[in-house]
Amino acid sequence: MTLHRHRFAWMLLVPLCALALSARAQATPLVVEAALDIEVVEPLLEAFRSAHPEIDLEFHDRSTLTVDALVSEADPAPDVVISSAMPWQMARVNEGYAQRLDSPAARNWPAWAKWRNEVFGFTFEPIVMAYRLDLSKQMMPPQTHADLHTLLTTETAQLQGKVTTYSPLKSGVGFSLFQQDARYTPRFWDLVAGMGRVNAQLEGNTRTMLEGLSDGRYWLGYNLLGSYAMVWAQEHPEVIVQVPQDYSLVMMRMAFIHRDAPHPAAAAAFVDFLLGREGQRVLAGQTPLFSVRPDIVGPYTAARLRDQVGDRLYPIPLNASLLAFVDPQRRDAFLARWRREFEHPRPAADEQVFIQDSD
Amino acid sequence: MIEVAGSLKRRLAVWLLLTVTGLGALLMIEAWSSTHRAAERAFDSQLEAAALTIAEAVQWQGGEPLVEIPAAALQILATRHQERVFYAVLDADGQPVSTNMPFTIKPEWRAQVADAPWTLTTAFDDTSWRLYGREYDSAGWVSQEPVQVWVGHTRAGRQALGDELFERTLSRFLAMVLLAGILMAMALRVALGPMRRLRRQLRHRDADDMGPLDARVPEEMRELAQTLDHLFARQRHSREALLRFTADASHQLKTPLAGLKSTSELALKSQDPADWQAALLAVHDGADRTSRLASQLLSLARLRHIGEEGKVTPLDIVAVLRECVLDWAGREVARDHDLGLAELPGGPLWVRADGWAIRELLGNLIDNALRYTKAGSEITLGLSRHRDTVSLYVEDDGPGVPFEARERLLQPFERGGRQDTDGSGLGLAIVDSIARQLGGRLSLSERSPHGLIVTLHLPLIDPPSDHDASRPGEPGATRETPP
Repeated sequence: MTLHRHRFAWMLLVPLCALALSARAQATPLVVEAALDIEVVEPLLEAFRSAHPEIDLEFHDRSTLTVDALVSEADPAPDVVISSAMPWQMARVNEGYAQRLDSPAARNWPAWAKWRNEVFGFTFEPIVMAYRLDLSKQMMPPQTHADLHTLLTTETAQLQGKVTTYSPLKSGVGFSLFQQDARYTPRFWDLVAGMGRVNAQLEGNTRTMLEGLSDGRYWLGYNLLGSYAMVWAQEHPEVIVQVPQDYSLVMMRMAFIHRDAPHPAAAAAFVDFLLGREGQRVLAGQTPLFSVRPDIVGPYTAARLRDQVGDRLYPIPLNASLLAFVDPQRRDAFLARWRREFEHPRPAADEQVFIQDSD
Repeated sequence: MIEVAGSLKRRLAVWLLLTVTGLGALLMIEAWSSTHRAAERAFDSQLEAAALTIAEAVQWQGGEPLVEIPAAALQILATRHQERVFYAVLDADGQPVSTNMPFTIKPEWRAQVADAPWTLTTAFDDTSWRLYGREYDSAGWVSQEPVQVWVGHTRAGRQALGDELFERTLSRFLAMVLLAGILMAMALRVALGPMRRLRRQLRHRDADDMGPLDARVPEEMRELAQTLDHLFARQRHSREALLRFTADASHQLKTPLAGLKSTSELALKSQDPADWQAALLAVHDGADRTSRLASQLLSLARLRHIGEEGKVTPLDIVAVLRECVLDWAGREVARDHDLGLAELPGGPLWVRADGWAIRELLGNLIDNALRYTKAGSEITLGLSRHRDTVSLYVEDDGPGVPFEARERLLQPFERGGRQDTDGSGLGLAIVDSIARQLGGRLSLSERSPHGLIVTLHLPLIDPPSDHDASRPGEPGATRETPP
């Protein structure tokens, strides 16, 4: 009996496989090079595959710097490029590597989240602090940048080696975030000096930082991607995510269709899907990437985040000013200053004046 | 026949349209270039501002220029049209200190900028760019070399602004044309008002109203109105002439008929056959005169109304005159008169005329001369040639006609105050009609010591070709005296 069933199954399977194979052969390939965790984005990709069975989506998850390099070097060029390193994406678009997307979804996309109708910020990810529950036993957990600075100044001994943040050198995202921080207030450098004093560990991505927090290696993380951290915190109750109460940066993943995309129609379909109601609903409901569209309802939407956090969300502006961040001299100058502040921290006493000022 | 060829309104409209289109096209070309120039100027100033902002950020460190590109400069460069932006800071050797794109700034461009700030439009990777370069002196502790700041952006915004400005101009122009068109149509209506009024007045005119027009017309229509008035006046005159002629003719016919009636009545009352005989003779004479009168009236009417359609061919007037005089000289009526021809010019003289008309004319003149002169009078016919006219004259040595009466002689039923003959007074009127028809002129003059000369002046024409020339008469003898 079982034997028969097996044979039956086989007889069914073979033509099915053949069918699937032939369908695959006819499908349009689509190559997406992205700096976006595949586990996080998987629901979105699944939704796209079922909405467009005629497109054979190939999604490569890489680091931001690899993605950036692939834009100019890959042959054939990728169809769609997604990255969280906003200045680099912007530079590529400025260099003319993107092609315009002309669709209703693209036209109706909020102006603050797109540039030239060529590149679109399609997520809305707050930048957060995260701490381990252990921290709250020792001290008052920080709620603002100033709190963090105070902790770094007052609890220097206890926090030695327990603080982590992005490495501006290794991570494009981290570099962009620090640049933006530095734009808002010169006191950012006091923060950097403070981190230098506690020998903060510099990591290449949010995931490593979160793992460190869960392991107990770190107590406090600064400038983590909220999207990853929030999901992590749901599964790891020892990690608490804190959206800064003074201001919270918001990062957007930027997607564009490559100028030399081998499959422009499929690429347009993909980006259209990202911006469309369907894609954004999946984004808001099944991923922590937060939907930008105001008409989408779900646990992860920009509107809901604003309701929770208030008006303290400061999206990194998606405009030409981003280009300044990748200027080599400016970058060098910034990194030099970082190194100076981080490696040769001024004595904390020097800064006491500032702190009292702010209080 | 009235052929309607186009309408005045349409013609005016077409001309207006052509003018407006032609001038409008020129105007729009000018507007297009000027709006785009304005857009270029507006955006060039953004380039200047961005270059200034970048230059401000240039500093010298250890003999090397250092620049921390200000984000604001890039936003100024990008403008609200989100242009792609380019910047480059070059040291004195033309080496980039900082740049965001691998564009090469050509040496000649750098040379140009060394003198003065310079803007140029150029193409990089299939896109049109506007570049602005400017050299800044800088002072450092080690080096004092100048740096060049180059900035640029794509030109979509310029195009958009230029197009927008142009569209605004264009739409205003079109609105103006539309308005002008409507006003023009209204003006046309008003301007053509007098014509409409004149038309209405003519349409509502009584059929027998020949009076002059009573209308207010603009200068341009004065001639038309005057011509119409002339036409009406001519019609009025000819109508009056016709009525007078008809009245006169009736009157003329009535007199002999009344005579016939009274003669026959008298004869009927008498019993004497001799009276009957005499009455019959009188009736016969009267009938003769009446018949002649009727035939003259007929010929006058024919001349006046049908004559215009008669065929006119080249005619040798010398031959016709000779033939005619010979014919009349042999008639019974000329028995008592001395009818003769003066010396005729040699060779044929050609006029454009109909043979029967000339014969009728001569016949009437000769008949008149015979009728209004005493027996034994001398009647001479002759021709005299002038440069391009020929004069045919008939002179008699009769009593003549007083000067005042001569003009009236040409009117029908006018006998120059003579009641002693049985002429109808139609002869000279017929002659005058014929003369007019032949394009000639009739004149009456006095002959000394007494008598009348009637002269017909006719225009000469070129002799016809040989083929035609041999037909109308034989130009044989140069002078001839009738028997």
